[in-house]
Amino acid sequence: MEKIKRRSALTSLGALSFGMAVPTLSKGERLRAPYKLVQQTLKTDILVIGGGTAGVVAAIQAARAGRKTMLVENGSQLGGTTTTGGVNYPGIFFAWGKQVIGGIGWEMVQEAVALNDDTLPDFSIPHGKNHPRHQVRLNGQLYAMLIEEKAVAAGVQIRFYETPTSATFQKGSWTVQTVGKGTSTQIICNQLIDCTGNAYAASLAGFPLLRESVTQPGTLMFRLEGYDFKSLDLKLIKGRYEEAIQKGELVKTDFRNNIVGLLKSAGDNIQHVMGADSTTSETHTVANLKGRSSLLTTLRFLRTLPGCEKIRLADVQNETAVRETYRIDGHYKITHEDYVTGKVFDDAVSYSYYPIDVHDENGVIPDHLKEGVVPTVPLRALVPKNSRNFLVAGRMVSSDRLANSALRVQASCMGMGQAAGAAAVLANLQNKTPLDVSMKDLRKMIEEHGGIVPVSAQKG
Amino acid sequence: MRSWLSIGLLNAVILAILLLSAYRKQDKIRYFQSQTIPLKPDTIQAFVSQFKDDAGNDTLFQVRSKEGYPVSYFRKIKTSVCFDNKCRLLDIVLYWNVTGRYLGYELPEGEFLSKTEHEPFKPAEYARLNDLLADPFSPLANYSYEELVPKADLAASGLDAVSSATSKNVLDYVVEGAVYTTYKMWHFVYGAAQKEVIKLTEKRLSPGFLLQVLESQDSSDKIWALNHIRGQVELTPALRNTVLSFIDNNRFNLAERAINALSPTELKSDSLQKMLFEKYPKANYSLKNLIVTKYKEAPHLHSSVKTALANALKLANGELLTNILDLFKQHRVSDRETGRIIADLLQSDNNFLAQKAFIYLKSANIDDQRVTEQLNAYKTKHHL
Ligand SMILES: Cc1cc2nc3c(=O)[nH]c(=O)nc-3n(C[C@H](O)[C@H](O)[C@H](O)COP(=O)(O)OP(=O)(O)OC[C@H]3O[C@@H](n4cnc5c(N)ncnc54)[C@H](O)[C@@H]3O)c2cc1C
Repeated sequence: MEKIKRRSALTSLGALSFGMAVPTLSKGERLRAPYKLVQQTLKTDILVIGGGTAGVVAAIQAARAGRKTMLVENGSQLGGTTTTGGVNYPGIFFAWGKQVIGGIGWEMVQEAVALNDDTLPDFSIPHGKNHPRHQVRLNGQLYAMLIEEKAVAAGVQIRFYETPTSATFQKGSWTVQTVGKGTSTQIICNQLIDCTGNAYAASLAGFPLLRESVTQPGTLMFRLEGYDFKSLDLKLIKGRYEEAIQKGELVKTDFRNNIVGLLKSAGDNIQHVMGADSTTSETHTVANLKGRSSLLTTLRFLRTLPGCEKIRLADVQNETAVRETYRIDGHYKITHEDYVTGKVFDDAVSYSYYPIDVHDENGVIPDHLKEGVVPTVPLRALVPKNSRNFLVAGRMVSSDRLANSALRVQASCMGMGQAAGAAAVLANLQNKTPLDVSMKDLRKMIEEHGGIVPVSAQKG
Repeated sequence: MRSWLSIGLLNAVILAILLLSAYRKQDKIRYFQSQTIPLKPDTIQAFVSQFKDDAGNDTLFQVRSKEGYPVSYFRKIKTSVCFDNKCRLLDIVLYWNVTGRYLGYELPEGEFLSKTEHEPFKPAEYARLNDLLADPFSPLANYSYEELVPKADLAASGLDAVSSATSKNVLDYVVEGAVYTTYKMWHFVYGAAQKEVIKLTEKRLSPGFLLQVLESQDSSDKIWALNHIRGQVELTPALRNTVLSFIDNNRFNLAERAINALSPTELKSDSLQKMLFEKYPKANYSLKNLIVTKYKEAPHLHSSVKTALANALKLANGELLTNILDLFKQHRVSDRETGRIIADLLQSDNNFLAQKAFIYLKSANIDDQRVTEQLNAYKTKHHL
């Protein structure tokens, strides 16, 4: 006791003699120099930017094929729209009774279903109005952990909280500068895959992008509880909603002018954030602020309605999920006509299956494909014009708007992710640009890893 | 507490005679889906439950075959359908099959269904009702009573048309002019009685009965049966053969459920392990992985399966390779032959494969000089 007292007295004496700037240290504390941002340089064979629906699959494919693979993700977990966005019901893996998307995406989905004691949907039920039943409901957070475990086990080096700021191609390799929390890193890679959903790396690399003058709305996913929909006086509620809109207390487009839809869906995929764009921190901040403030305003309003006084927010996602921003202008642009006729390209690398599904402020009326039609994705749609050693996968695939509204769905993104990962591996091994890789080799690699390549794409 | 009442044998026989004769009655209005399970009705048992609905009674009748297997169920409904402060009587008998699927309806003699203006149903409308009731995924499940018919005052309100569009959508799922009747019947079909149907069938599961259900043309019946095998009935040789026959690339759900139906206890059997493995060579990638993963549940791994899978490792990649190695780890496979196959992977150009092999061999303690040398060479190469 005496000793301790003496020591602390000495410490404070010391502090005094060095002047007031030196703080008193408690037990266990150390004084450290301020954290320095150190510029570092890392090398890898394949770099994937964006660890979302498509990106995780691309990275796992590349790493399992033995290539050194890095994955830069600006969020805190993998899965993108499937997990952080809360759209945890990927579709569609089976078309007309046959599996059309398999491989790594399917492996991850199935494992999440099994670990949560969920059951897979019956894929033999007819499509058409039942198409949402073909989507596989997942525990989103469990899925995020599982895919992370798989990426780590495959040897993918994950870099969370990081974003690129530049991408330049010189002498057969890409140099990508990234910044993150306390990091500034130059990553040199042979093949670059953009899976940001926004063609962000493609834009940094200088490739022109496509964008609609009006994009589809985004959605903040949430879940309401504490009321019994079937016992509500809907006529009265509609009247009150209309009044609130007329008075300017609520915004008509926030919930598709559909209060009944909001109460019936209990928040599942019903909110609209007009103009939501996740491309930059600034635009994504705006989308998040808008999504949350409209939800809060509406929640307060709901609690004034008869039968809804005890409505609660059971869950809400961390960010507004975004449907549409930029697409690349690729060597081939998949058209609506290609999609609805199920064109099988010579360089088809994966299937896609979904109705044409463009959302506007009122919602969506899906336009279903004709019986037997299964569209395909050519490798050329994953490669920006004038690029080398560069691929994309996911919703920014080169396509017109209507085709994109169906191509963007999750199983299709996973299929594209696997194809892009495999093409990057072969390009890296053979010292080529992805478009020069032989289709025969590409098919072989994708199939060896369980992926499904459209049947009549045989040309070498 | 649920109270079950089994009517005495005599009553049951009388009822059976009455009701089975009804099957033959042509003058009644009756519409049915095709009976997909090849079982013949013989007797009828009545069960009373507490359905807590307004069907007018709580009795559910179970039709049984000679073998005592459930064949179908029916419930007599007497209720009123009300709207705009007017009520009409609905007197009808609803039928289910053994897995709880809607089977059909029948009106008592002289009864008929009518629409809003008391106009009787036409034959096409009876047939449509039959089809609408057969749709377990009908959006009627989520509509509230109030949503069914558009309110004129709202349509005139100037708000754009989501409300009336919704009601227009309802028309796809109801008989026009009989919205509430369709809605009410659909909810009787898929309500509490359906759950009781399933519970009652579950009390009479047997391998012979499930074999009959597995013969259904309807995939949801088959899935139901496959879901009721594991831990619930004995996997007799006949049932085992049928279950294995569902492992087929073209019917993923059935194949997946069939593999799931095999329990760890049954996987003790070497012959089952071998029969399951016969499916492996032709299975697609998804099913191959499910089959490999299944063997993790087995208390031991049959040597022929182990050898075949060890050979499969030579060409396996990614998920399949990981699953086979996980399986071997689970069963502590450490024989020299398998060890050498895995050790050859250490030299693969694919770092992922080599690393997987290394992780396996590091903890497998394989007593073989060649394996040890390859392991040491790998360690040296990678400075481990
Ligand atoms: C509300 C809504 C409902 C939908 N409904 C369905 C449905 O029912 N079924 C279905 O299958 N699909 C549905 N979709 C579509 C589908 O979910 C998406 O199109 C798909 O998930 C997109 O996948 P992706 O890999 O292209 O992008 P994402 O999954 O969004 O992944 C992009 C990833 O890149 C990261 N990223 C972005 N920018 C950067 C950067 N600068 N640096 C580093 N990382 C970055 C993001 O954080 C994210 O992790 C829906 C979408 C929305 C928004």
